[in-house]
Amino acid sequence: MAAPTSLRRGGAAARATPGQGHKHRGRKHTANGLLWIAPALILVVGLIYFSIGYTAYVATLDWNGFILSQPTSVGFDNFRAMFTDAVFWRSLQHTLIFFVVTFTVQTWLGFTFAAIMHSKIRLRGLYKVVVFVPTVLAPAAMAPIFRQIFEVRGQLNQLLTAIGLESWTNAWLADGRTAMGVVMLATIWQWTGLTFILFYAAMSQIDPEVLEAARVDGASNTRTLRSIVWPMCKGTTVALATLGLIGALKTFDWPFLITRGGPNRSTEFLGTYIYHTMMQEKRFGYAAAISVALLVLALTCGVIMSLRTQRSGRK
Amino acid sequence: MFATRTRTSKIALQVIATLMAVPFLLPLIAMVQGSLAGRGFRNYVLVWETGVLLTYLRNSVIISVFAILIVYVATMLAAFGFSKLRIRGKEFYFWALLLALTMPEAVLLTPLFITASTFDMYNQLIAVILPVAALQIPFATLLARNFYDGIPSEIIEAARVDGANIWQVFRRVVLPLTKPIAAAIVVLTLIAAWNAYLIPLLMLNDPQSQVLTLLPSFFVSQWTNDQTGVLAAAVIAAIPMIIAYLALQKYFERGLSAGALK
Repeated sequence: MAAPTSLRRGGAAARATPGQGHKHRGRKHTANGLLWIAPALILVVGLIYFSIGYTAYVATLDWNGFILSQPTSVGFDNFRAMFTDAVFWRSLQHTLIFFVVTFTVQTWLGFTFAAIMHSKIRLRGLYKVVVFVPTVLAPAAMAPIFRQIFEVRGQLNQLLTAIGLESWTNAWLADGRTAMGVVMLATIWQWTGLTFILFYAAMSQIDPEVLEAARVDGASNTRTLRSIVWPMCKGTTVALATLGLIGALKTFDWPFLITRGGPNRSTEFLGTYIYHTMMQEKRFGYAAAISVALLVLALTCGVIMSLRTQRSGRK
Repeated sequence: MFATRTRTSKIALQVIATLMAVPFLLPLIAMVQGSLAGRGFRNYVLVWETGVLLTYLRNSVIISVFAILIVYVATMLAAFGFSKLRIRGKEFYFWALLLALTMPEAVLLTPLFITASTFDMYNQLIAVILPVAALQIPFATLLARNFYDGIPSEIIEAARVDGANIWQVFRRVVLPLTKPIAAAIVVLTLIAAWNAYLIPLLMLNDPQSQVLTLLPSFFVSQWTNDQTGVLAAAVIAAIPMIIAYLALQKYFERGLSAGALK
């Protein structure tokens, strides 16, 4: 790896890296630089870019995925079919609702909890661990208990019966309206800890004197939180919103493991729809076309995200 | 944030905090409790008797270790190149990496499936390790590059003047400074690799040789409708990560928040 190097001189050659304040002096090392970035590039191009290209190609085929069976080229038919496919649009709609609900609830919970943890309180360390631990656990390990809690004879219905609310019991996972709620609940359970940690870090940056001044002026706790702390955490909220949107597009594990996209496709997301189309219906071309749509959506979000990061880096 | 001047308000805040935190614990409690229902500890014995536990655990460990190694090496080298070396078309390559940042796993499904069946790569751990690592690299490189950008180039210049070549500078001067970001990258990759579900599900279709996240579904396939046993399998699948988190709490929290914000 110790490639021969030569130092270059000359101020004009210095090109400051974007988002960086201080000036470089005009010396940089040309150590066959490509060798340094090659392993990362080869892996990413070889796997991810290859996959994108291949998916785009398969998206123009009518193919059952068996190597020996001859695919038929159908041009853009798969995409045309997609635009009139009710399940595709429903999956998108689910993604959007899912994002709005999980993001709102997580932000509210995480923000409030962070504010409480920044107050005088006992057992802070314990609370933090309890809220954060779901973040590191695999949905695959947690899905069985979420299924069980909401089963017809599960803990929730038992609890409702025990406190005399038998009329409220429901087959939560078999009911299209509530199954999505369970998927959202599991997601919120998992990711609130991360939202909390980020707000907690953002609040550590706020000068206590600002808060003190507000109190002296007679602002109440909620007023201080709403008018001072919340605006000062705006950067974190925006970052979490973009992350949440991309996360919603990528959603697969929870709906797949809890409801398999059902009942009656009421918890179908793009990821689960691709999986079903491919593995069960063996319509590889169509699955690939949905993949391309998903990729375009995720990329759009990604570009918006990096533009935003660049702008905030330059301020 | 909340000013609590009276005793009542102190207690009220403590109660609110507890009420907010307890629901996060409930699924875990229900899970452990459920796993001990009926036959009690026998449930765990049943999971053990499937005979796959150690293989699954070993596979999870191998996949995580190699994914971490690959991501660490590739990322540390690439980020150094992107931050401190002159490479023609550097920003183009960097953008090429960044574009892969938002890649949904589901887009890999078709190509992975077909590549694996063409080259007969099913049930080989490498077929899981490589995609998992490749999905982590763009993000890890972005994190590491931002970190390297904060290391003054003067340090490198000084070492160069003293006659060190660029590789020695990297190994002896720069790399020791990168521990904080390396820890974040290791933790992020560990979580992604250990918790991976979709890629192992697709690539490892021999039930005898899968990973720990697939243990609950394997148990379902062996003992249909044995809820308590499934929960025991789920507890076993969750335990290693809980231990890792409790032991390395600080790094997990830092790693995940560094990962979220950049």
